[in-house]
Amino acid sequence: MHNEPLLSVNNLTVDLLTSKSAVRPVDGVSYSVRQGECLAIVGESGSGKTVMNFAPLGLMPTGVTTNLSGSVRFEGQELIGLSEPEIRRFRGKSIGFIFQDPMSALNPVRRIGRQIAEMAELHLNMSPRAAEARALDLVKLVGISDPSARLRQFPHELSGGLRQRTVIAIALAGEPKLLIADEPTTALDVTVQAQILRLLKDLQQRLNMAMVLITHDMGVVAGAADNIVVMYAARAAERGPVDKVLVNPRHPYTQGLINAIPRREDPIGSEFRGLPGVPPTLGAPINGCAFAPRCELAVAACTRSRPPMAPAVDSKVSVACPVVNQGKAAA
Amino acid sequence: MKKLNPILARMSKMPKAALITIGLFVALGTFAPWLAPQDPSTQNLLEAGLGPNAAHWLGTDHLGRDTFSRLIIAANTSLVSVGSVLGIAMTIGIAMGTIAGYHRGWVDDLLMRVVDVGLSIPSLIIALAVIGIVGPGYWTMVLALALAWWPMSGRISRAVAVSIMSKPHIEALRVLGASPWRIYFNHLLPGTIGAVMVYATADAGVAALAVATLSFLGLGIQPPTPEWGQMLVDALPYLESDPRQVLLPGLALTAAVIGFNTLGESIALNRIPKPLTRRMLAARRIEVAGWAKEGIDAQ
Amino acid sequence: MIHFISKRLKHSLVLLLLASLVCFTLVVSAPGNVAVLIAELRGAVATPGYVEQVAEEIGLNKPLLMRYVDWLGDAVRGDFGISYRTGQDVSADLANRMSVTGTLIAGGAAIATLISLALGFLGAFWPYKLPDRVSRGLALLGASTPTFFVGALVIYGFSVTFQLLPSFGFDGPQSWILPWLTVSVLPAAVLSRVVRVGLEEAMASPFVLTAKSKGLSRTAILFRDALPNITPIFINALGTQVGLMTATAIIVEPLFAWQGLGDYFLAGVRFRDFMVVQACLLIFLTFFILVNLIVDLAVLLTDPRIRRQWS
Repeated sequence: MHNEPLLSVNNLTVDLLTSKSAVRPVDGVSYSVRQGECLAIVGESGSGKTVMNFAPLGLMPTGVTTNLSGSVRFEGQELIGLSEPEIRRFRGKSIGFIFQDPMSALNPVRRIGRQIAEMAELHLNMSPRAAEARALDLVKLVGISDPSARLRQFPHELSGGLRQRTVIAIALAGEPKLLIADEPTTALDVTVQAQILRLLKDLQQRLNMAMVLITHDMGVVAGAADNIVVMYAARAAERGPVDKVLVNPRHPYTQGLINAIPRREDPIGSEFRGLPGVPPTLGAPINGCAFAPRCELAVAACTRSRPPMAPAVDSKVSVACPVVNQGKAAA
Repeated sequence: MKKLNPILARMSKMPKAALITIGLFVALGTFAPWLAPQDPSTQNLLEAGLGPNAAHWLGTDHLGRDTFSRLIIAANTSLVSVGSVLGIAMTIGIAMGTIAGYHRGWVDDLLMRVVDVGLSIPSLIIALAVIGIVGPGYWTMVLALALAWWPMSGRISRAVAVSIMSKPHIEALRVLGASPWRIYFNHLLPGTIGAVMVYATADAGVAALAVATLSFLGLGIQPPTPEWGQMLVDALPYLESDPRQVLLPGLALTAAVIGFNTLGESIALNRIPKPLTRRMLAARRIEVAGWAKEGIDAQ
Repeated sequence: MIHFISKRLKHSLVLLLLASLVCFTLVVSAPGNVAVLIAELRGAVATPGYVEQVAEEIGLNKPLLMRYVDWLGDAVRGDFGISYRTGQDVSADLANRMSVTGTLIAGGAAIATLISLALGFLGAFWPYKLPDRVSRGLALLGASTPTFFVGALVIYGFSVTFQLLPSFGFDGPQSWILPWLTVSVLPAAVLSRVVRVGLEEAMASPFVLTAKSKGLSRTAILFRDALPNITPIFINALGTQVGLMTATAIIVEPLFAWQGLGDYFLAGVRFRDFMVVQACLLIFLTFFILVNLIVDLAVLLTDPRIRRQWS
């Protein structure tokens, strides 16, 4: 079973039911992550990338009922259909999480040290004293200065970057095999963003972890990820190795995204190249391709039925676009 | 009036039982003199301490007065005194609150400091202190309770007034040269009164408790006028032999207060989404079941 | 920290002074001639000459400010004057009565804390399920039932019907239980909602998602993450309720024939014994100010965010 991926998601569909509405933020998406690999999941806000990673692990806010279908296998074990206590055993121990906003992710009235140490007590069966020592090691590992003093401090006494490092230390405390980072740099100062990203990448390689990096920043993807899934309106648009997808984007949405990145050779003051139109609001699944209304290449077939994900010319890349795939068939 | 809509929407969701209780209390209180089957003060020592019978549906008290009639008339006593207390308290509170909200500055600071102090002292102690100095009596009770109650409506109306005054159309009116009087009486006051009324109604239960408590202590409604708290204290010496006469007024009062407190709770904002009820969950599941699931991307 | 405490102490002192001013003004503005009352109290015929003599004796003819300073000085030394009704020193009774009321409030607050935490956690454990509904129903009932009715019910239940506990007197722990129960119902009801709603709000905060992602169970999150977050809120609400219990004591003490401050105050109000009303009122107000001070210091100790503002 050496070849089986660490995490393999197959045709995952997530429905969220709230008292106000029912939405489908994830609609038949597949991807996999191998040991030591970094997968980037890219999409606009509301494209379902966070829900896709959190919902199968039972991490949804209160007041929301989750309906899952498809398959999510972690180390060969199916996660969908497990009860909450069974899923809880994966959280923290096998899978660590990093959140978007370190300002609110830490408990404001508990000391940093306790918040890290309780992970070691819980997952590594350590005594409180040993856990404190482990917390100190972790704080050093994530590059926090003056570590022993920091452990006694409260979250509001730290800067945003230090708080995110603390969140990373918490995520690492259970020695996870997979790290899920949800926009880990978005809420930080620009100057700190690069540091945190480098730290994450470095830790991932040193500890030989797999990482799922959820982001909307193509720059982050290029620097850190091995593979990429591009999401649009709850569905995967394109999937493949980063060097292939970024260099030669096939799906019109991916092309638009990459085209929108400002380039060095752009003259100063040149117009911003955004995608025309707005993404659809989440709700019931859309018939046909969700991107069709904004797509230059759209043909009648696009709105008739949902385009399947199919291997492109380079078989490592899959694209969900009838026009692109049609062209391949013709070629 | 638009401000009231969300409040009214929340009120419409409150339990029917509470609405019925409040309705019953108000109806009984209003039409008590016509509803009471017998004269509440007619004593008949030959019929004292009777259990329920055809002539006296809920029995009689230790002086042979008809308990059912006395309970109904007591609703009227309670409604009238609570109405007067809240009416006076709201008038003072709205006046103070809108003046503070209109002027801001040191007037605001001073009035709100007074309100803070007033709110931090239990209303029963304020009322008793006033009664202790002035001497007991019906109007002393009403005024003493109003004095203890106005800071509450004062704080609410000040908050509402401040939010109205910061609306752009008030600024526009000022620029257009509308007189302060016009802004105050045509715009500020009507908006504030509406909002404060709703909150004051929700507070009626606590006010009813206060009236009954003062009467229980012998410093509110004086005999022979029937009032629940005073009926209860009257019957207390006979608790062993005739507990019904203690239970009935206590239960009547508690029911009325529960009604108003439920109203208050339904007005209070709940910021956290509630989980779906089973029925709603089923409806959502049916909705979702209609959505096609395609195995479009099997790896 | 020290800066905060000294500032807070000064604030309390100003409030105390204000409270004393209110108590003084209230009695000075009372209708009727105090000198006549005292003259009659001494069993003399209130002839104008004798009344004038009494007025001179107790300092009624001095300017108001002087009277206030005299009165305040006496009050600080524990001298609250003579009861107009009994002719006895007001302060003679006070010490004993304060300990009676103190027993009532301390026991009531302890019971209310225990019950409210139990009910609140019950509700937070199974939100919107049966235990939560029961806890919510009990809270509504407790907050809506008049205290005097609660008292009558517990006397009827525990004392008349089952004869388990004495229904009156201040005579050892057995006699304390029913008054404690009666006085704790309202604060327990209010505080249980504070706990329940506070825990629910805390459980909806983003840091709970982090706690979940650590693999902690819901129980662990409730106790480790949510509970420390509501501690300052709870202490604040408990302080308010302890203050309100002085008012409840006025109802409960006479009901159980306890000779406490509430009973004393009520008697003072009934017989318009101004000196007693004044003394009790001053003690009550001082108590509120003291409770508020303690609450602020306790919140300072339990909430690191506030602590930081002042360090």
